[in-house]
Amino acid sequence: MNWLRGERVELAALDLEADTRRYTAWARDSEYWRLVDTRPARAWTTAQARTELDDGLPQASALLFMIQALADGRRVGFVDMAAGAWTPGDVWLGIGIGARADWGRGYGAEALRLALRYAFDELDASRVSLTVFEYNPRAIRVYEKAGFAHEGRERGRLNRAGRRWDMLYLGLRRDEWQANGAARATS
Amino acid sequence: MSADLLRGALVRLAAPDPETDAEAFARWSRDSEYARLQDSDPARPRPAQYYRDQAAEAVEPDAYAFRIWRLAEGHAAQSASVKPTAEPSAPIGHVSLWVVWPHRDAWLGIGIGARECWGQGYGTDALRVAVRYAFDELGLWRVSLSVLGTNARALRAYAKAGFVEEGRARGQNCYDGARVDEVFMGLLRADWERGR
Repeated sequence: MNWLRGERVELAALDLEADTRRYTAWARDSEYWRLVDTRPARAWTTAQARTELDDGLPQASALLFMIQALADGRRVGFVDMAAGAWTPGDVWLGIGIGARADWGRGYGAEALRLALRYAFDELDASRVSLTVFEYNPRAIRVYEKAGFAHEGRERGRLNRAGRRWDMLYLGLRRDEWQANGAARATS
Repeated sequence: MSADLLRGALVRLAAPDPETDAEAFARWSRDSEYARLQDSDPARPRPAQYYRDQAAEAVEPDAYAFRIWRLAEGHAAQSASVKPTAEPSAPIGHVSLWVVWPHRDAWLGIGIGARECWGQGYGTDALRVAVRYAFDELGLWRVSLSVLGTNARALRAYAKAGFVEEGRARGQNCYDGARVDEVFMGLLRADWERGR
């Protein structure tokens, strides 16, 4: 068994130069950007994007994987994990599928399953936390299906397109993940 | 309009001063109870030099960092439970707002490091001043924070300032073998305006 590989995607290492170009290309779609980041959408220069991707890596607690489709070797997205604090074993997770053509095809759901197995079985996480925006029902559904529970809702935390949107906090505990045998078996 | 935006009834918010602050932070870092209440990093004593170096490194343009100083004798509002102090020589705590401008939100962090000052209203007063600063000076729409679910004193102070519980990350912390929730709280400008 390869913990980094599923049926359709694998979690691959960053290729700084090539992935920097992909990052800037994905970020040119402001809708994608608004789904994955609280910062304003902007046109990223190659230098800015390289710093962004490179900076987190020296930190021992930060792990960044590219999501690569097994069928054709394309990079379709990213998943990153960071141990908020090692002692309580809480891992923060972020995930994004870059190109619109790759949305809704299950890449994110499978990458999430792989990332969760990595967090619980490799990093020994006791829980995994994430935030997601109210206007991203597709992602919320994927997280719910993976077993995440709704834990909080920051009222009006996001200011976008002339109105306020909530930021949702979701969490998945190790015992819940273990009880949810389906999440393990399918990957 | 308040006469002095940075002054409350018991405390004032002052600029960080690496020299004075470093000794105080080092002293507080030796108090493991304080360290646990303060953040999720393991309690760990640090020398003053560590905080001096940190101050030199940390250039966060969107962080509004203050040190909490007791008002000197004669300046503090009269209160039965609080003895006026002689000219203070060190801060008793800190409060910071990390602002996210596009969303007009700030993350608030506060701590009273000097344990002889716990439970006497200093934190509540400093919190009130910091929140007023966030809304009246920075023009924010909301203020956010998180707190350890077992920190009853802080939860009470935040509730008194108008913060409402918005979420609870189940067992996100672990101390003495027991999981402890992290509680997320928020205060909307509209609610604060109504209560002022």
